[in-house]
Amino acid sequence: MLRLRLYQLALRLYPALYRERFGEEMVAVFRELQAEVVSRGVLPQSRFFVRETAGVVAGALREHGRVWGGEHVWLLFSSRRFTMHTEFRFPKATAVLMTIILAGVVLAIQKGEAIQASVPYANPPVGSIHPVHSTLLPGVVIGLASFYAAGLIGWAILFALRRSGVHRLDETSAK
Amino acid sequence: MAWYDMSPEATMEFLPLTEPVLLILLSLAGQPRHGYSILKDVEQMSDGRVTLSTGTLYGALRRLLDEEWIERFKEQESSRGRQAYRLTARGRRNLQFEVGRMKHLTRLANLRIAVKEA
Repeated sequence: MLRLRLYQLALRLYPALYRERFGEEMVAVFRELQAEVVSRGVLPQSRFFVRETAGVVAGALREHGRVWGGEHVWLLFSSRRFTMHTEFRFPKATAVLMTIILAGVVLAIQKGEAIQASVPYANPPVGSIHPVHSTLLPGVVIGLASFYAAGLIGWAILFALRRSGVHRLDETSAK
Repeated sequence: MAWYDMSPEATMEFLPLTEPVLLILLSLAGQPRHGYSILKDVEQMSDGRVTLSTGTLYGALRRLLDEEWIERFKEQESSRGRQAYRLTARGRRNLQFEVGRMKHLTRLANLRIAVKEA
């Protein structure tokens, strides 16, 4: 029951239109699969749940990428190692890590709600609120921009030296 | 290139198919199926090697629906009125094209290997 609830929570990561189109069906299929693995022991159940959650997280990312900028835009965020393939293979380690992060976020939300419910009046009266400009967001944006700029420069150097993935693939094909 | 373009060039844009997509299309080639049935059939066809998650399955189904390779309909026989999927003429044609491409590759590979061994 908890796993089904978590799965339904994870489905909220998808764009609303996608959820409307496939959400119910996905839950129904998840229910059938869960009923099947429930008698197989803890390990197969855990493996099933991790696979399902990772699949949903990866799928939601892909759908948001598509909504944001088209079918293949999210390939910009992958390395050449993956895009050299005719299909994108989502690295298993990343999927597991994302599942752990998702579980952490869900648990943190639940914990927060529990704390909020247990404290009847937690907010003391405050005076007038003055807006404070966050310094975190620009830092994150600059950090990401620097990261991609460094990646682009690195790739440009490799391309100029004819050592990029495309050139290596060409060399391999020519042999 | 327009989506309704049925020329070999347009088809090649989507080929080669990934293994999960190929297996999903092969699963629907025999008969229409609903989501759970597709997952089980793919697992069976690949001897348990390919186990799709619901996220992967519905991501692939969404793309195939958008490209009109498959279509969705309500199952009449099911009391729950489940949604089922079937291949369209376009999907069947593209699947045949892909299988033909693979046959050609296999034949070529066999020839090359045979020449090397001889």
